[in-house]
Amino acid sequence: MINLRYLVIYLSLVVGLILMILPLPDWVQAYRPNWVALTLIYWSMALPRKVGLWYAFFTGLLVDTLLGTLLGEHALALVIIMYVNMNLYLRIRVLSLSQQSVYIFSLLFIYQLIISWIEGVMGRSTPLSLYLGAPLISTLIWPWVFVILRDIRRKSMLS
Amino acid sequence: MKQALNQTRYATLHTLILVSICIALMVVDHRFKQLEAVRANISLVLSPLRYLVSLPALTGNWASEWFSTHTEVIDDNVFLRSEVRLLNARLQKMKVLEEENIRLRNLLGSSQNLADQVLVAELLSVDQNPYRQLIEINRGTVDGVDLGHAVIDDFGVMGQVIHANRQSATAILISDPDHATPVQFIRSGIRSVAFGNGSTDQLEIRFLPATADIRIGDELVTSGLGGRFPADYPVATVSSIREDLTHGFVSVFAIPKARLDSSREVLVIKPREQE
Repeated sequence: MINLRYLVIYLSLVVGLILMILPLPDWVQAYRPNWVALTLIYWSMALPRKVGLWYAFFTGLLVDTLLGTLLGEHALALVIIMYVNMNLYLRIRVLSLSQQSVYIFSLLFIYQLIISWIEGVMGRSTPLSLYLGAPLISTLIWPWVFVILRDIRRKSMLS
Repeated sequence: MKQALNQTRYATLHTLILVSICIALMVVDHRFKQLEAVRANISLVLSPLRYLVSLPALTGNWASEWFSTHTEVIDDNVFLRSEVRLLNARLQKMKVLEEENIRLRNLLGSSQNLADQVLVAELLSVDQNPYRQLIEINRGTVDGVDLGHAVIDDFGVMGQVIHANRQSATAILISDPDHATPVQFIRSGIRSVAFGNGSTDQLEIRFLPATADIRIGDELVTSGLGGRFPADYPVATVSSIREDLTHGFVSVFAIPKARLDSSREVLVIKPREQE
């Protein structure tokens, strides 16, 4: 049963998914921020009891279907960074946004490593721009994602 | 504090379970076909998102049609009429040739059917996956699209269907690094296989003998071997030839005929009934 109180979370994830498949020219493709991962990381920091591993898993399956990757590929990456985040969020939450950014970079780099590893097993190589591009841009965007989602959360009185 | 510890412990357990589920899913998805239905169902749920994303492009088309002036429409009409007349004239000749071909084939005792069943489809979206080259089209199993059907545009072969959902289907482009197209050089008749290499403007044909009769500008068509692509559809034009003198092979690079990155309307070809 979908709880209407948490509608905001679902909506923000849907927006994230849309941004993941928004057509972009080929050369910016590698620099597309990982919106879904950023959104999930935010919610799991803000509402750790609510948003956790299962959210990561199911959202990951949606991402896999949208991108045409193996079912479970992005799910695996999301579950793992979510696990890391669940162990560290209490320490990260108190840092300033710029300090958090460093943490976000490492999370997304792990994410990309897992994806590259799975694709590598299937014989597809990863260009360097993909290793660093998406994590870097996501890191730069994190403060904005954080502030926007925090405002949304406060407006909808979720805590 | 104790609660927090408990939470972490459960999290570890859950993570391990989910990770194993993910790995199992990936293995099954990679090796077997059982997950096609799951994928199709999730895809069905997500189809509104795809439509939403393709909306700006659709609106653009619609707006440009709506705001095109009267004279433009008349000009278009005149042009299209003359085009239809031209094509019809050509088709008449084709009809005769086809009849003749069938007669000759009958004489030879070969039972190959010439006409292909074709379905018009529209591009829904291009998959934003940097590793692969996939497109979504707006026809699915309801319309008779199924795994392995060839997808072409009005210039040449584009790819083939790899996932068929109810209302939509995913096709892999011939330029995907995982895709290989059985081809034949029209001029010399040499058969080979053209691999994609990840960029939409290049195909690669590897390991041709150094003595093979190939020139820049040669046309490649589908050979019809392998049974996926019907024979004699244009695929690519040879753009460069690289000799590997140490091994005595040549690699040929070719530019695909189909506009892989810009076609919006595509045709799905259903394979002929095997008799």
